[in-house]
Amino acid sequence: MRLTIEGVGKRYKGNFWGLKDFTLDLGPGVLGLLGPNGAGKSTLMRILATITKPTQGRALWNGVDVARSPDELRSGLGYLPQDFGVYPNLNAVEFLEYMAAVKGLDGGAARRRIDELLVLVNLTEARKRPLGGYSGGMKQRIGIAQALLNDPQLLIVDEPTVGLDPEERVRFRNLLSDLGGERIVILSTHIVSDVEATATGIALIDQGRLLTHAAPEELLRRVEGKVWEWVIPSAELPAAREKWKISNAIRRGDGVHARVVSAQPPVADATPVPPSLEDAYLAVLEGSRAREAA
Amino acid sequence: MRQARVLYHLMRADFLERVRRYSFLVTLALATWLGWAVSTGKIKLWISDIRGIYNSAWVGVLMAMVVNFFIALAGFYVVKNSIERDRRTGVGQILATTPLSKPLYTLGKALSNLAVLLAMVAVLAVMAVVAQFVVGEDTHVQLGPLLAPILVFCVPAMALVAAFAVLFETIPFLKGGFGNVVWFFAYVSVIPLAIKGHQDPLGMGPVTSSLFAAVKRVFGITTTSFVLGGIDREANARTFRWEGMDWTGEILLGRLAWLALAVGVTLVAALLFDRFDTSRSWAPSRGRQKAGGADNGLVPALAAEAAPIPVHLHPLPAGSRRFRFFDLLRAELRLLLKGQRWWWYMVAAGLIIAGFAVPEEGRKIVLPLAWMWPILLWSPMGNREARFATDGLVFSAAWPLQRQLPATWLAGVLLALVTGGGVGLRLALTGHWAGLGAWLVGALFIPTFALALGVWSGSGKLFEAVYLFLWYIGPLNQTRPLDFMGVVPAAVKAGVPLAWLAATVALGVAGVVGRRRQVG
Repeated sequence: MRLTIEGVGKRYKGNFWGLKDFTLDLGPGVLGLLGPNGAGKSTLMRILATITKPTQGRALWNGVDVARSPDELRSGLGYLPQDFGVYPNLNAVEFLEYMAAVKGLDGGAARRRIDELLVLVNLTEARKRPLGGYSGGMKQRIGIAQALLNDPQLLIVDEPTVGLDPEERVRFRNLLSDLGGERIVILSTHIVSDVEATATGIALIDQGRLLTHAAPEELLRRVEGKVWEWVIPSAELPAAREKWKISNAIRRGDGVHARVVSAQPPVADATPVPPSLEDAYLAVLEGSRAREAA
Repeated sequence: MRQARVLYHLMRADFLERVRRYSFLVTLALATWLGWAVSTGKIKLWISDIRGIYNSAWVGVLMAMVVNFFIALAGFYVVKNSIERDRRTGVGQILATTPLSKPLYTLGKALSNLAVLLAMVAVLAVMAVVAQFVVGEDTHVQLGPLLAPILVFCVPAMALVAAFAVLFETIPFLKGGFGNVVWFFAYVSVIPLAIKGHQDPLGMGPVTSSLFAAVKRVFGITTTSFVLGGIDREANARTFRWEGMDWTGEILLGRLAWLALAVGVTLVAALLFDRFDTSRSWAPSRGRQKAGGADNGLVPALAAEAAPIPVHLHPLPAGSRRFRFFDLLRAELRLLLKGQRWWWYMVAAGLIIAGFAVPEEGRKIVLPLAWMWPILLWSPMGNREARFATDGLVFSAAWPLQRQLPATWLAGVLLALVTGGGVGLRLALTGHWAGLGAWLVGALFIPTFALALGVWSGSGKLFEAVYLFLWYIGPLNQTRPLDFMGVVPAAVKAGVPLAWLAATVALGVAGVVGRRRQVG
């Protein structure tokens, strides 16, 4: 199972490139797609999910161009868009039965699968309630369930944990980790901790371009010894923010614990701390933008 | 002063949002086409075989009647979406948290509706000048007599349409397709008032009274009927010079009264407006919640149930991915019929039985009714995915063109076959094969029409409006060329169903092409 993205670009109206010259080769595992708003994550996912066609380049699923033969991929695709709706008059079971029929699942197998999925997304109690009365988080869980109906080989989930409570978020992360072993999962999110918990590979995108694609360990290694923390009085925080790019500031009893990614210690009493994925993400993003500005 | 500013910005934002859409250009294009139809004599005003010379007064009043006749009907469907848009985009949730009052909001929406309608009227006013030159009987343009009827008769009528569009959007059972049907029948019931010469909302009464009086004066003919449409009587036409309306205080006060009513309707809408409180429109009103289980986003058992469940999904057994068209068709049928109450099925069953029981004369009424009853079930065809934002889910499944689209279409056809089944069965049993063929064409045409319009417009409204119009003019009033159901024996004999079959095929192709665009 292989997903190959070769020089893919997408141009929108006004000659705006949402994605440009994007190349990536993926095998089984969970790919965390990270990037700021408007980086091109959703555009990439919509291309891979065959919803839209690239302006240039191609995406190959097991060697087959997904734009030319979308149905080759679609039969093994699970897709959870960032914004999606449901039919408000149907209940959870009816909606999933409808989606199973659309996806070409056998009736008996579909019913068993739906039962399993409703347990998995914790909606068994609400299975007979019309979807129009569901909360945002419950609708999101229905979206997750429909994406898994056909046991997809390629699972694309765009901001899947939006609207989920912490407990459901943890459950979904665990599920993704479980699924990633035998299929390709592409997870797009702003929430770095979601990626931290599940991803076997990370792709960082900014302004439609791939900045880096690496294993989380590799990204962390790049900022090893470059993350510093020191304590400053609350009143000095604004001045410190002016001077350094502070990635995190936590107020504690002894003052504000400021965190910064820098090759050199920002102040003499700064101490090196173990880097997080968020530090690595910010370092790559800042580095890229600095190079661009130069 | 502050409120006027708020009102202005409400109207402006809504108006700009609309006019920057491609559909607005289409609307203006249709208005231009309507104006051109007047200019080229495809739509004329006749009193018996008499018409006025195309001077500014005649063209102005003719265009005013065309606006009020056609735009009052179609314009309602064009503008009845302003509150819905705020609801769908989420802007309404934000507005609901501001100090904006409900009357100000509905007034702003009504004014925005009016601005859109007046843009169409403006196009037709320009086309009135064009008409005067194209016909060329009197090319001396007098702006007063030309514009006065358009201003006096059209502005209050359009204000009423704008206000009622807002009112319908604030009444839960009228904000959807049912409201569209109600508006059509309300409009149709206003026409007789106009013809009888009352102070009707469309303003046709004062116009026709004035014209009838002029005809009596010039030709000595007493008449109380007129024709506005495509009937050509030019061969034996008699013409006269009409110098325009005698603007009496009664007429002007009457029009002002309709304008005041429009404001009143908008204020009533403010009383009924839910201010985007979704709890008033969803679950509680449907009576499906158990006591204490009303939706608040919380499932009581959630917390207790969550922890011990293992997070592992079993692989699907081999052979599970076996597409069966029947399964999908059944799912589409369920989607089509879901939410209908028992009385809907009772009425449908009654119409099926009546269709079988009544002789041929009765069929002319029963079949149109049987195929009007499911209109709101057909209208979501082809646009359900866009309307409920499930397109990303449905179109990313395999072969949406070859599987889901035919299943949707066939579900609609089955609905037509069953609801019109009583008539079909009787035609088959009595050996009326030509009639049965025409009936079958009708059963194929309606869902295909719904699907094509739904796919291309992204909404069910266009189908509801056009189908109602076709249904009323064609089968119900037995206009031969528009009889797509085969209820007029002469139309069946003349081969009209074959033309509708060809239209069905063309619409089917259009539906497939449109869906192909959507699925990428």
